Amino acid sequence: MKKSTKERLKQNAPAVPILVYLILLVGIPLLLVVLLSFFSRDSLGNIVFELSFDNYKKMLDPVYLRVFFNSFILAILTGLISLIIGYPVAYFTAGLNRKSRSFLILLIMLPFWISSLLRTYGWTILLGKDGLINNALIFLRIIDKPLNLMYNFGTVLTGTVYMLIPYMIISIYNSVDKLDRSLLEASYDLGGSKLKTFFKITLPLTMPGIARGYTLVFIPALGLYYISDLLGGGNTMFLGNLINNMATRGRNKPLASAFAIGMILLVLLVLFIYSKVSKNSKESLL
Amino acid sequence: MNTKGSKFRTFYLSLFFVILYVPVLSVVLYSFNKSSSTAQWTGFTFDWYLQLFNDRVIFESFKISMVVAIITSTVSAIIGTASAVISSYVSKKVESAINGVMFLPLIIPEVALGLSLLIFFTELNLTFGVPTLVIGHSLFCVPYIYFMVQLRLQEIDSSIIEAAKDLGASSWQIVKTIILPLVIPSTLTGSLLAFAMSLDDVIISTYMAGPTGTTLPVHIFSMMRTGVTPKVNALSTLFLLGTFLLIGLNQTIGRKGEKFYEEN
Repeated sequence: MKKSTKERLKQNAPAVPILVYLILLVGIPLLLVVLLSFFSRDSLGNIVFELSFDNYKKMLDPVYLRVFFNSFILAILTGLISLIIGYPVAYFTAGLNRKSRSFLILLIMLPFWISSLLRTYGWTILLGKDGLINNALIFLRIIDKPLNLMYNFGTVLTGTVYMLIPYMIISIYNSVDKLDRSLLEASYDLGGSKLKTFFKITLPLTMPGIARGYTLVFIPALGLYYISDLLGGGNTMFLGNLINNMATRGRNKPLASAFAIGMILLVLLVLFIYSKVSKNSKESLL
Repeated sequence: MNTKGSKFRTFYLSLFFVILYVPVLSVVLYSFNKSSSTAQWTGFTFDWYLQLFNDRVIFESFKISMVVAIITSTVSAIIGTASAVISSYVSKKVESAINGVMFLPLIIPEVALGLSLLIFFTELNLTFGVPTLVIGHSLFCVPYIYFMVQLRLQEIDSSIIEAAKDLGASSWQIVKTIILPLVIPSTLTGSLLAFAMSLDDVIISTYMAGPTGTTLPVHIFSMMRTGVTPKVNALSTLFLLGTFLLIGLNQTIGRKGEKFYEEN
């Protein structure tokens, strides 16, 4: 039955306040970022309203391309390491009995509720020059001088994986949990080995969970600048730090905007790939 | 599973959970250390906690954080729930448009979101402070509650609503007596999550805080970047305790909600 225009208007009228809210707080601010990225600023930090591609040209400078590269590699590796460490956790957890399963899920989710600064800061206590790990190694006479474990790319990677791995585990767990176990039994009955069954059945069937987990880990890994600040000590520059520095201390919002647009485009690219990979599954990202 | 496999499973899971919690526990442990360095354990003390209570800046920023978190979670609960209920009434096209825009704040990295609001509010000449912080935090809290409530709405048996319609109930009566009671547990869980996220937020708060005062996480972040004393550990430990209280609350609400759902 086709509805008349009037009926449709009446049906959709309640949505107006929501759309106004969203346009005001999401639409306009993002549009401003796009606009500002084509402007520049004077020596006082005031914005000069003259359209140009200068900011985008600056982004192609090798120094800045390097920052994009660093962030990209950090996000790729964060996803990869979370997957390698997290998959067995999800897989093993799903195979446990009901009671231990829900207890472990609680333990995996709990960090979401714990302050992310605290969780990052914990690593400085562990990895610092006079941190727990160095102390333990010296005490055990494995080393006699403290190792340099802080302020490098690896430290930032450790912190970022630590922060985001619960998303990966939960995503994969949901997929493993939905897996039809009779398929595995059928494979065993037909003489399939454990390894073969895993790679031929379990892994392909849990692919949607892996893709979702990877996306959920990759995106925030691009922008969590407090982790690279606290654990990286500014030795490696990442997109989040760069945007934050330029927007606050650097007082160059137009250039910061251009980089934010670059970052958003990277996110959209990942989402596009995700939608292509998971187009057969009905699972949404959340 | 054979014993070798199950032994490996136990070993792997134990190792993982130890590593997951060691950083958190070491922060707690060193909040009681007499020495301000982590080099040595020089004895047990509550001094850092006492110092904390005499720190005015920390107290002020804690107050701001609490006010912002309370307002944010309340406002987001109302906007998020109302939007989800409304979106189930409007046409499919409008609903997917709302879904799409609600999705944006969840996928765009916070630095970019914070920057966008900073630019917008600067252009509007707004004074930065508690109101801008609330708006900034709602930006990512509303969508969470919206999607949680939407999920719940999809679970509702449509025959109940059909029956109510047949018996002559108006749309508003249906919302008030059927839909709202069924989605309230999701709203409450969502707003607790929003409360925790608001209390924990560093990035957007950095952009939205005013010149007179900032939120606790932003203050802690600057403490961590400059000289670190175990005061930070003590503060984090207290925060952790607060978090556990929240989770306890959440579990209780969740269980009550389930019961309610089963009974109805």
